Formats: sequence, C-alpha cells, structure tokens
Amino acid sequence: METIHLRIHKVCKDFGKVRVLNHVSLDVPQGSFTTFLGPSGCGKTTLLRTIAGFYTPDSGEIYLGNRLMNNVPSHLRNAIMVFQDYALFPHMTIEENITYGLRIRKIPKDQIKARLERTVAYLGIGNLLDRMPGQISGGQQQRVALARALIMEPEILLLDEPLSNLDAKLRINIRAELRQLQQRLKITTIYVTHDQAEALALSDRIAVMNEGKIVHYGTPQELYYHPADPFVASFIGKVNLIRGRIIENRMGNTWVDVQKIKVLVKNHFDHLQPQDEVMLCVRPETIRIAKASEEKEENAIPGVVTNYIFEGATIRYWVNALNQEWVVDVFDPVEVLPPDTKVFLRLKPERIHLMPARA
Amino acid sequence: MNARVREPVLFLVIWVVIVSLLVFVVYPSIQVFLYPSKTDFLKILMNPRYQRSILNSLYIVVLSTLSATFLGFIYAYAVTRTDIPLRKFFKGISLLPLFSPPFMVAFSYIMLFGKNGLITSKLLGLQVNIFGWHGLWFAQTVAFLPVASLVMEGILQSIPPSLEYAGRNLGASGFTLFRTITFPLARPGVAGAALLVAIQVLADFGNPIMISGDFSVVATEAWMRVEGWADIAGAAVLSLLLLIPSFLIFLFQRYWVSRRSYVTITGKITQIDIQKTGKWIRWILFSICLALSLLIILVYLALFMGAFVEGWGFNWTPTLRYVKEILSRSPELTNSLVFSILAGAGSALFSITAAYIVSRKRFLGRRFIDFTCILPAALPGIFLGLGYSISYTRPPFDLYGTAAIVILALMFWNIAMGYQTGIGVFQQISPSLSEAASNLGAGSLRIFREIEIPLIKGPFFSAFIVSFIRAITTLSVVVFIVTQKNVVTTFSIMNLVSDGFYGKAAALTCTLLIIAFGLLGITKLVLGKNVVLFKV
Ligand SMILES: Nc1ncnc2c1ncn2[C@@H]1O[C@H](COP(=O)(O)OP(=O)(O)OP(=O)(O)O)[C@@H](O)[C@H]1O
Ligand SMILES: [Mg+2]
Repeated sequence: METIHLRIHKVCKDFGKVRVLNHVSLDVPQGSFTTFLGPSGCGKTTLLRTIAGFYTPDSGEIYLGNRLMNNVPSHLRNAIMVFQDYALFPHMTIEENITYGLRIRKIPKDQIKARLERTVAYLGIGNLLDRMPGQISGGQQQRVALARALIMEPEILLLDEPLSNLDAKLRINIRAELRQLQQRLKITTIYVTHDQAEALALSDRIAVMNEGKIVHYGTPQELYYHPADPFVASFIGKVNLIRGRIIENRMGNTWVDVQKIKVLVKNHFDHLQPQDEVMLCVRPETIRIAKASEEKEENAIPGVVTNYIFEGATIRYWVNALNQEWVVDVFDPVEVLPPDTKVFLRLKPERIHLMPARA
Repeated sequence: MNARVREPVLFLVIWVVIVSLLVFVVYPSIQVFLYPSKTDFLKILMNPRYQRSILNSLYIVVLSTLSATFLGFIYAYAVTRTDIPLRKFFKGISLLPLFSPPFMVAFSYIMLFGKNGLITSKLLGLQVNIFGWHGLWFAQTVAFLPVASLVMEGILQSIPPSLEYAGRNLGASGFTLFRTITFPLARPGVAGAALLVAIQVLADFGNPIMISGDFSVVATEAWMRVEGWADIAGAAVLSLLLLIPSFLIFLFQRYWVSRRSYVTITGKITQIDIQKTGKWIRWILFSICLALSLLIILVYLALFMGAFVEGWGFNWTPTLRYVKEILSRSPELTNSLVFSILAGAGSALFSITAAYIVSRKRFLGRRFIDFTCILPAALPGIFLGLGYSISYTRPPFDLYGTAAIVILALMFWNIAMGYQTGIGVFQQISPSLSEAASNLGAGSLRIFREIEIPLIKGPFFSAFIVSFIRAITTLSVVVFIVTQKNVVTTFSIMNLVSDGFYGKAAALTCTLLIIAFGLLGITKLVLGKNVVLFKV
C-alpha cells in the first residue's frame, strides 16, 4: 500500500468575498508526482501556496506526514516552492541563491559545499555559480530555481508553472528531465499547470480543478478515458460529447438511445438506470469513419463530412452528424474524404465513456 | 524632413516646444554662467564668509539627508510591510506636507519650539534658541521626510512579492528576511531616494532663511548678496555653487543609480500578505511613526493657532484681526492664485505635449527636448529665479515687475514632473492604438485629439495640480523676480516672519494651505480616485 504523504482535508480559503478554495480534499502519496490542472483563476496557485504556508486555510486541515501543518509558518515547513517567475534573488550570485536556505539554517560550511556540488552536478549548472541571475538564460534560471529548492532536501517540492516562461522546445526537454529527476530522487512533488499535455506527460496523478474545487483526481489514463464530468472530459484532450438516454443496462452491456439510434457501450456503468440522461464521451481517435456506401453496422451514425485538415500522420475530419459537429481523427489514412461525402461514424463499444448529464 | 510637408501642425508644435525650451530654460540658465566675471568668482570663492557657508551647506545636506532618509525608510517600511495599528492614518499624514509650502515647517517650529515657543517656553518653561544649524536640521528632517518616505514606499512595493515569499519559503523570517532579502533589494532605491532628498535639501531656501539664524548656507547667502549688496554677479556665483552639485547628483541618480535598480515592474503584483510583526519591533515602529506624524500634525496646528492669536509668544488673546486683514486687502493672494493657475495650466499643457511628441515621434531635436524637459528638476529654485532675473529684467527682454516673468518662471520650473508622468503614460498606452488610427487614415493631430487626449486627461490634471501647488507654495523661485507690483504670498510671508509678524504670516500660510487642499479635494471629487499625484 502506498503511504499518504500530504493530506488536504476540506480546505476552504476566501479572499474577501470570493471563495477561492471550496472544500478541497486530496491525498498525495509518498514519492508521487501530482499535478494540479485547471483553467486560469481556478485556485491552483492558491492551493499550492496554502500548502507552502503562505496562506492559512480558513477552514480544513493540511497534514504533512502525520503533522497538522495549519499553523506552521512557511519558514518552518520545508515545503519548498519553485516560483513561476523563479524568484531568484537578483542581488545574489547563483551560488548564493542556491545556498541561501542552507545558510539561513546555519548548516556548516563544508556540508553546504558538499550539497551544493551534488545538486549542481545533477542539474549541470556547475559553471554558472559566480554569475548573477540577470546574466543567465531562462532555461538556466529555471534550473537554478530548481537547484535552490532541491538542495533543501525538501519534504515536498512545489512547482508553480515552472516551465511557462520557456519556449516550446526547451519546455519539452526540461519537462522530461524534471520527471527523471523526480523519479530518481523520489521526492513527493506537486506541479501546477494549465497545460493538459504537460499534465498527462508528467504525472502519476492529476487533480483537475475548477472554480475552487477538485472535480476529478486520478491517473492520467483514468482522466482521459473515464472523466468524471464533461468539464474534465473537454479540458483534457479533444472529445465529442453527445447526449443520450439509457435504454437498458445489463452485465456490462449498456444500450443508449441517441436520437433514435441505438448505441451499444461495453463498459461497466452499474450505477446507471434505464431512462437516465447521460453524456457519451467519445475520443476522436477511437472513431472509425467509413463511406456511406458500405454496409450498415452496429453503432454506426450517419453524417456528412464538412471539413478536414491533413496533418501528416493523421487526418482530422469535422463531420456533421445528429445535428452536431464531430471531430474524428484517422490515423494512417488511405484516402481523403472530401467535404460533402456521406459517411458513417463507427463507435467502438468498449471505447465509449458515459457520464451523468447535467441539465 | 518630410514631416514639414506632410504634417505641418506637428512640425510647428515641435518648433514651438524647442524654441520655448531654449528661451525659457536654456537661455536663463546660461545667463547665470555668463553674468559673473572671473573676478566675481574669485571674490566670492576667496571670501571666508562664503567658504564657511559652503561648508555649512555641505554639512546640513549630509545631516538632513541622512536623517530624513533613515526615518523615511522606517516610516515607509512600517506603513507598507508591517501590521502596526493606524497604518492608513500614518500614510495619510505623511502626504500632507507634499501639498504645503516647504518653509512652513521652519516657520511653525519657530512658533512651537523657539524662544517664545508654545511648547518650549509656555508649556515647558524652557529657554531654547531654535535658530541655528540644529533648528534647520530638525525642520528639514521633518520637511523632507514625507518625500523620502513616499519614494521608498514605492520602492518597497515594487519589490516582487515572490522574492520575499521565496525567502520565507527557504527558511528566513522576521529580521533575517529583512536583512537578507528586503533591505538589499531596496538598497539601490534607498540610495536613489537619498540623492533625491539631497537635491531638495541643497536647494531649500525657505527653511534656512527662516530658521538657520547665523548658520548661513549657500542658498540664503545668494539672496543676501542681492538683498544687501545688490550684487547680482555674486549671487550668480553662489547659485552656481548650488547648481553644480545638484546637477551632478541628478545625472548620477538618473543615469547610474536607476540603472542599477533591481526593481522591475512586472504585471502581476500580488501584494505580499503581511505577517505578524514581532511584538517589540511592532511597538518600536509604532512609536516612531506616531512621533513623526505628531511632529507633522503640530506644524499645521501651530500655524492654524497662530492665525488667530494676537501676538504669538506674549499675547495669547484670540483675534480675527489677521483673517479680516487678509480678506479685506491682499494683492499678493490674488497674484499667487492667478499666477499659479496660469503657470500650472501652462506647465501641464506644455509638458504633456512635449511628452507626447517625444514618445510618439522621431525627429531631430527629440533628445534635446527629452533632456531639457527633465532638467528643471535639477535646477535649484534660487538658480532658475536668478536666471530669469538676469535674463528678463532688462532690454531686450524687459519683463521687470510683470506677471509674465513670474508665470513663465513658475511654469518652466515645473515641467519636469508633468513631463515624466506624461512619458510614463504614453509608454503604457501602446503605440499600436495610434498606429491603428493612423492606418485608418487619421493624421497626427487627429490621432492626438481623438485617441490620445481622452487617455491623458488624468495625467494632465495631475500635472496641473502638482504644478499649481508647487507654484503657489514656492519661495525660492520667486525671491529674485518679484517686486511691489507682482508680489506673491510666499514672499510676503517670508518678510512678515523675518519682521516678527507671525499672526499675519500664519494667516497667509493657512490661506495658501486652504487653497492647495481645496483644489486638491475638488479635483479628487471631480476626477475620481484615479488621479495619481506625486508618483515619484
Ligand atoms: N491575494 C489575493 N487576493 C485576492 N484575490 C486573489 C488573491 N490571489 C488570488 N486571488 C483570486 O483567487 C482566484 C484564484 O487565483 P489563483 O492564483 O489561485 O488561480 P490559478 O489557478 O493559479 O490561476 P493561473 O492559472 O492564472 O495562475 C482568482 O480569481 C484570483 O483573482
Ligand atoms: Mg497560478
């Protein structure tokens, strides 16, 4: 069994009249890489800063290990944060920046030196130590910020969109490095981002937030294939959402009525009853597209191609079916179906996810 | 220059601005240099009396700058970074002197702490002589503390909060955080603030003329030269002695210190939430702020009382005599009001126009305008006043005793502040706005009228108010150029104080204060809260 390292229990935080965190609960396993994902303003930074101890929760508890942290001030927490703008101290050299926390703790000089050497070797920034923060590049600053946090041997490492100031290519490189480093050091890490691709690529667990609440907390695969609600579904990856009503639900076979078309879903949704309104969640790459001339099959929905983009490895089609726009990705396409082609969309029964529809 | 053909109005405006600056800033300044002969220089510099005053000036500049900056920093820190009680109140009090005549502190402290002072003599029964270097030091410290504090509040607030958060997060707290992060980050700004204060202390004329007694400083000696000996050349030499250090500090501040400042303005300013301050520190800071703000409040209280007392120091009978006297006849008040309104409006119009063309257009002479518009900030009032007196009181430009000479001097003395505000605003307003308009076929003038003017109303009015208030409260600029005909209030006050007529002087000072604060109040009411005044 994995041990819980950080436990957040029903935490609320208001700024004035605005409730920014609304009963947030979360258990973060020891050594895991957990991502807070959500749109701008949903409270990710606030939650992270609450964990770091910059804000005290208005209600609820935060435990690190078994210790209640609510009233422990930031400087006694050892929950170290890497800031979005890195927050490198501009009046100190890189070395002074990195060793700052250890010096504050009055660690003996030789120990500081040893730890410094180890950390900079990890991150490959040994040659920067005498420079000032203004004299190194964005990617280097990012590493220095990380070094400054890692050298503290933090109990928990907090990263607030640390890659958002880097260009796309550097981002991908550093993100891979970051993940490797985290796995090597086995530090419990919390990472904040609003980039869903980044979240999927990095995380053991993702907590999707919306309007101060955690709407879904799970592994990337769970989130992708079994999102808790339409918000999560459409926040992660591209998705087709179609309304339907349950006809029958038996032994893992669920029949759904979608505008008079009967769709079979092979997944366990035991809680759903006949007549329940549901949302079908169908990922574009799970749909097969076929010309209308072909023989009609199960789970086939008639439609008309409205547009397409050729992307090399895939073709993305926009298809008008059941009075709504569908997105379909076809891999390894043999032929291109021009607009106005009549087609059938074939949905794989085991690839459809059902969610309760909200009014 | 094809602008001449394409945009004749713009071309004309540029020329008007350049010629005005040449005539009203550069020319009078150069005249001060040219007026004295070599023997005049030697005469002054070899005279032990003036050598002493130079040393005195140096001495008092160092003292007052250090004390005002030090206390100003404590004040600013307490107000922005701690949770001491009454923070808002302290902050508000420290803004008041910015809208008041600079000499007011000295005048008021003579009434409070002088030989017949209300506090020293009447309440405590002491025999104190406030006239001298200590009185001047005291008055200047209180007079310039608000500026120092305001500048440093700005500096403290522009330290990115994430740096302090990071410091705390890495284990620093309380004094350690202050010592390792907050103060080192503020240090370049504090140095800049100190230099700014130094320039003002050096140029200060009102406080020394009233309170320094036998302790002569260069600014007052320059005035004595003209007043006592009608020796304009000697005054010119002395005012150059003021100008040169002031100008050097100004250059140093502008091109060196500001470069080294760590503070960058980033978009996301989330104010750091204030942590519990340690109990001892909290009360120490609170006591300091309380004492300083009391010293400021006392200034106003004494002036107000003084206006209603028959004979300050010996006859405490209440009276309305002085108020009536002022209301029935005081040409100097009318003059002050009219001159300052015109100078304020002229200054705002000129400086915003100059800021507009400098930030939006490329043309020959742009750098000249930029430099010359900021220059007046480095010119001591005494120097500029003397420059006008030399340049415009004799043919070919004889404006002796006219309103025009006072208005022009006050107007151009104040352009720096409006110009800098204007530049700041135009830099924030993306040029793409006007590019878009230009792209749609609008000419320069039209863009200015339809796109930019609506955006610069705020800065324009704040430039107006600040210029107006500085104009109506200054003494140093006007001492050399007023006569019986164009006398202004501050000049009358100076004479009344030196002749010991405290009642009428206090009543006049209060009237100035009422005008300044009244106008300020009206503008805030009319324009709402978003008029930023004295953004340093
Ligand atoms: N110090 C504060 N005072 C008042 N409101 C705040 C403060 N900090 C954040 N907020 C508000 O709380 C909400 C959540 O802010 P938060 O910074 O946590 O969002 P976020 O999810 O990190 O967004 P982003 O992706 O843009 O960084 C926002 O509406 C924000 O305006
Ligand atoms: Mg954020």
